[in-house]
Amino acid sequence: MKFLCVQCDEAMRLDETRGPDRGSMTVVFGCPACGRQTAMLTNASETQVVRSLGVKIGGQAVPAEPMEGIRNGLATSSVEDAAPAAHGGASKCPFTGMVNDAFARSGMPWTEGALQRMENIPASARGMVMQGVERYAEAKGFAEVTESVLNEARSGMGMGM
Amino acid sequence: MKTWRDIATDGGSDVAGQVAEQANQLADRLRDVRRIVAIMSGKGGVGKSTVAVNLAAALARAGGRIGLVDGDINGPSLGRMTGVQAPISLSRMEGTVIPPETTWGVRVMSMALFLRDETAPVAWDAPSQAGGAAWRGLREAGALRELIADTEWGALDMLLVDLPPGSERLPTLADVAPRIDAAVAVTIPSAVSLEVVGRSVRMVREYLDVPLLGLVENMASHACPHCGKADPLYPPGRTEPLADALDVPVLARIPFDPALGMAADDGNAYLQEYPDRPAARAFAELADRLTLLLDAS
Repeated sequence: MKFLCVQCDEAMRLDETRGPDRGSMTVVFGCPACGRQTAMLTNASETQVVRSLGVKIGGQAVPAEPMEGIRNGLATSSVEDAAPAAHGGASKCPFTGMVNDAFARSGMPWTEGALQRMENIPASARGMVMQGVERYAEAKGFAEVTESVLNEARSGMGMGM
Repeated sequence: MKTWRDIATDGGSDVAGQVAEQANQLADRLRDVRRIVAIMSGKGGVGKSTVAVNLAAALARAGGRIGLVDGDINGPSLGRMTGVQAPISLSRMEGTVIPPETTWGVRVMSMALFLRDETAPVAWDAPSQAGGAAWRGLREAGALRELIADTEWGALDMLLVDLPPGSERLPTLADVAPRIDAAVAVTIPSAVSLEVVGRSVRMVREYLDVPLLGLVENMASHACPHCGKADPLYPPGRTEPLADALDVPVLARIPFDPALGMAADDGNAYLQEYPDRPAARAFAELADRLTLLLDAS
């Protein structure tokens, strides 16, 4: 999908993404010539189609984690809550344990506010997202994950947090 | 006014580039896999997974380096059938996960390894499951791609992909995989099965560039537990007309053996436990014929 500024006859560029929020994403495009902006708002089905393709709106800034679509995409009813394993707790289920072992966290500290933001991530994907943020923070030299690190990681990684 | 074709990019997401990168990554990960072979049918319940597991075991027993992908995203069964659902660590290596290995040396990847327990359904995270027909197929294709691409297979002589029933399954795999070197179609000698398998094979022939090596006739006969005499389970000679019409050989006739089902339930290697039974010999012959045909192609 491409967007055209009719007035300038110029291809618009992606400025910002927000969400997903209750299944909807906001993708803002701007005209490089006149600065006019327009927002594309997706409904839940459209968002799901994009997610299902395994692509990131805004671009794939960091390489995808192995099995990211499966890990990120399965509903909580299909996988055990990732939170206990993400915080070092033992999984009761050997099968989920196998997979969670592969996504062990680094132990980097998180501020309360940043942890609260993680509550917006589906439980099934939370461990993997937190690991991705920690890797991003480590690469950038941050000592802990704060809300501002999350904001930076979101724009850098195309994540909705 | 400019049209879609006048504009080079999508403005920043580069969705087409991301999809192309997925394909490139998959091709790269499979560069050390000599052959990719799909085990297909079209008909459910004919024993595709039984054939896939035991063919993999026979190939490994003959010295091959074999991988096995459970292509049934919604009803994965290979975890149980191969006994890889033990509490072992699925560790990562350079953007991939290392697959568990069966006691008979076959590397396995299945959706079962990601699910909570033996009865957890494969449900995708969504605000609503309503309208899922629009995206569920994409999810399943993406999951199949990841199971193949994100697994550290290492060097393999053959990667077998056990497909679920449905004539659309091989086309989906063909969309995902950079190449499919061959397909083997499994049937039982019932008219119902042969009809459905025939439709699936024609789909392959008419729309895909995938060589069909032949048919495997499963449940071809039953050995009397008292005298050992093999009796047909269906009127004999039913599979040959389909094979003739398709101009492919019947690669193997696998007799029914209750021990096959028991071994599958327990995740044991039937071929190791019962190497001299008729079904085990049939699987060994199937492995030999398949290897010969692939080497000759």
